[in-house]
Amino acid sequence: MPLDTSTYSLALLRIDGRRWNDLRRLHAQIHTQEAADGSSYLEMGHTKVMCVVTGPAEPQAGQQKRGTAGGGGAGALGGGQKDAASIVVNVVVAGFSSVDRKRRGRNDRRIQEMEITIQKALAANLHTHLFPHSTITVSLHVLSQDGSLLAALINATTLALIDAGIPMTDYITACTAGSTSSYAAGDDSADPLLDLNTQEEQELPFLTVATLGDSDKVAALVCESRVQVSRLEGMLVVGVDGCRQVRRLLDGIVRAKGSKMIKEGVVQRSDLMAVSLEE
Amino acid sequence: MAQQTLLSPAELAYLHSSLSLSPPIRPDGRTSKQFRPLTAETGILPGTNGSARVCLADGTEAIVGVKAEIEKTADPLGDDGERYREYVKSASGVGGGDADEDRREARGEWLEMTVEIPGLRDDDAGTVFLAELLREALLADGELARKLWINRRFHWRLYLDILLISPPLSYPLPLLSLTTHLALLATRLPRLKSEGDEDPMFDDDWEAAPFLYPRQGAAAGSRPSITLLVVAVGDSILFDPSKEELAVADSALAVSLCEVRRERGQGSMEVDSGRELRLVAMRTIDPPSRLTPPGVPSTANLAASGTADVPLQQKQQQTADEAPQEGVWKAPLGGTPFAVLDSIIQAVLEKGGVADEVLDGLEGVDLT
Amino acid sequence: MADRRRINGPGGSTLPPVYDDTELDAVSLRQRAPDAIRPLYLKTGVTPSASGSAYLEIEPREGKHGSGMKLACTVHGPRSLPRSAPFSPYMVLSTHVKFAPFATKQRRGYLRDSSEKDLGTLLETALRGAMIADRWPKSGVDVVVTIIEGESTRQDAVERRVEEWDAMNVLGGCITVASAAIADAGIDCVDTVSGGVAALVADKDGGELSMVLDPVALEHESVLAACCVAYLPNRDEVTNLWFRGQLPSTGTHNYQTLVSKAVQASKGVHGLISASLSEVIENSQA
Repeated sequence: MPLDTSTYSLALLRIDGRRWNDLRRLHAQIHTQEAADGSSYLEMGHTKVMCVVTGPAEPQAGQQKRGTAGGGGAGALGGGQKDAASIVVNVVVAGFSSVDRKRRGRNDRRIQEMEITIQKALAANLHTHLFPHSTITVSLHVLSQDGSLLAALINATTLALIDAGIPMTDYITACTAGSTSSYAAGDDSADPLLDLNTQEEQELPFLTVATLGDSDKVAALVCESRVQVSRLEGMLVVGVDGCRQVRRLLDGIVRAKGSKMIKEGVVQRSDLMAVSLEE
Repeated sequence: MAQQTLLSPAELAYLHSSLSLSPPIRPDGRTSKQFRPLTAETGILPGTNGSARVCLADGTEAIVGVKAEIEKTADPLGDDGERYREYVKSASGVGGGDADEDRREARGEWLEMTVEIPGLRDDDAGTVFLAELLREALLADGELARKLWINRRFHWRLYLDILLISPPLSYPLPLLSLTTHLALLATRLPRLKSEGDEDPMFDDDWEAAPFLYPRQGAAAGSRPSITLLVVAVGDSILFDPSKEELAVADSALAVSLCEVRRERGQGSMEVDSGRELRLVAMRTIDPPSRLTPPGVPSTANLAASGTADVPLQQKQQQTADEAPQEGVWKAPLGGTPFAVLDSIIQAVLEKGGVADEVLDGLEGVDLT
Repeated sequence: MADRRRINGPGGSTLPPVYDDTELDAVSLRQRAPDAIRPLYLKTGVTPSASGSAYLEIEPREGKHGSGMKLACTVHGPRSLPRSAPFSPYMVLSTHVKFAPFATKQRRGYLRDSSEKDLGTLLETALRGAMIADRWPKSGVDVVVTIIEGESTRQDAVERRVEEWDAMNVLGGCITVASAAIADAGIDCVDTVSGGVAALVADKDGGELSMVLDPVALEHESVLAACCVAYLPNRDEVTNLWFRGQLPSTGTHNYQTLVSKAVQASKGVHGLISASLSEVIENSQA
């Protein structure tokens, strides 16, 4: 279904009624599964993903091979598994996640690319050197997709890693940013857009950017569509700003869960914790 | 799907003997016929025709999504099948009297099933075995395939995608089966507006869409089958084994049941009393206990006795042929006597037994 | 202008003539007694390069509508595991079941499809119970079964959709031939395992139900339930049980009878395996 972009300039409202810098509803849960070391569930609009983190654990027999074959450069970045933990990322896209059922195998190239992107973004920011000879397995399940898939996967992974208690420098949060008109339109006055859905992703140029915490440090950047260089900077700025908004939301979720756990007596309150119990 | 347990031979022997007691003592304190508690919800994914999520108390979790697509029924005779048949009819002079007979000709291949288990390849033999087992159980009663029939030229193609979210802590068969059951119960297909063999037209109103397994009205009755995993340890029969219990099981059997409801109005108005369980499929599961490391009795332990005089050849022969010693773990050898299999099946089919309990529990899940 | 250099076909398509085949029904009915199994031919040691091998053939039926099943099995090993494999205190058994591309009416690809993998897992379960695996630590055995010719190669099998019931017969054959090949390879077993199939079938007139051994789905009006067992006769134990179908809730046709019929069938097959193996021994001694 072609996206009708003509009305945007009139009302400055997007197809789903958002302004250019509005995020979709972001809903997330942390610690959704008792058995896992870390788990999370994240919705960005209609994109729904689940993440389960296992580890740091002793590498299982055969996993090494799979890691390098399926998870891409896991072996290379894991530092030979000797002095740092290796990270294995598995993404499973459920057959029922898109509107028309489409089955993607484990060896689908696009899925492998996403796995490698996530894995590389994590490897640079996790303190893997604390866990030599071990593996951290991140398995992601896509239940429903409506744009910004990679961004949702990265955000869910961050939450699950926090739940698993794996030390990392800061939140890695991701967001997509696009532009209001297509490349072919060559419209120099095109406005940047934040957090695209599937319809917008199909028509408009967009990029996915992940940043580290509140800083401007970019942890991952993926742009697969054709766009004029002059527009790129605007898109990136909007994307980085979106990442900050996402970070605030995720931080709120983690803090709410933390204070809930203290209230329920699951964990002891300690002076080192800077958790405010006001809410 | 051999999940290696990290239990020592001594632990295995202890577990085996405590499970063989009468009544058995299970590590989690359950009785032999008790299921682990589970939480279930349906209709979690609006983008599917039906979906369900089940979490077991040990933390394993599964999600099933059902999607349906319309497909043209392929003619076994190829593209010219229609013409061919007409031609045969005119040549042999037989009228279309057999129309009713092949009207509801349903095929099992209309149901497509995939199982995704994290960490395992999707073409792994164990995953394929699980998918085939579940598929066979669902199709065995022939009801499901018939429900997918639209008219002589079209049918629904049902895609069942089963996702195990958590790492496979125990053999995930009962979990996946129960989740599939719930997802199918929650599945709705758009209401058909067209008639006969014309191209199907459907009602846009999702509220009007009927359930694949209706609960009220004339068509109510059948339910998708469920598959239970039962193991035998010594003389005891245990339902819903945990990973550790499976590691010492002498034999494991997957039993698929379907519920047949008798027509109402036979005196009693109670629905539950009309339930009748029927066996639809059974498969032996290779118990992982066969792959557990054996214990070494202290008499045969060179380090302990210090006598290395016995020739090694003879020694090996001895340990292999020795009768199993009390307290020394040895992986089970050979098959299962039929009497044990029979008692497992009797326990499953028992009226008011575990299967009834599970079905009652599933009945209580709110379908949205 | 017409092309006169080639011989052109007619403008429209034509259909091949159809002959009304009246003897179709007469031929396809079961001739054997309900408790008789089809004659089998079993020979071990057919593949010199493998450590053990066997060939099994089931006698084809009369007439043109059926064919016997032909299976070949090779056993490789026990041999040492590859260096990358983890330690195993037991022999690691891996089974492969593959239809030859030309074995059935529908061509089979070279990659194993899900039904073949499923059969492989069922075969593995059946064999693992029989083998004494702890006598070969750190070693592996590959059992490869090839179905050279399937049971229902003809068009009517496709039309009547009885292939699903044939899987049981195939598994029964696989178990038997693999068992003979394992014995040929000299791998220790607690007993020679043999496969047997029984089914509850309805015949044409009156829908009379009966239980038959070694069923051929094409010979009956419909198959209601079938059961395949892998049976160890000397220990009276079942290593694999595969049952599917619906049994009438009342009457004598219950699953116990069906399983015992399948056991009876596998006992018959077991006699054949022992005869074939002892023949080999006699020949080698002579």
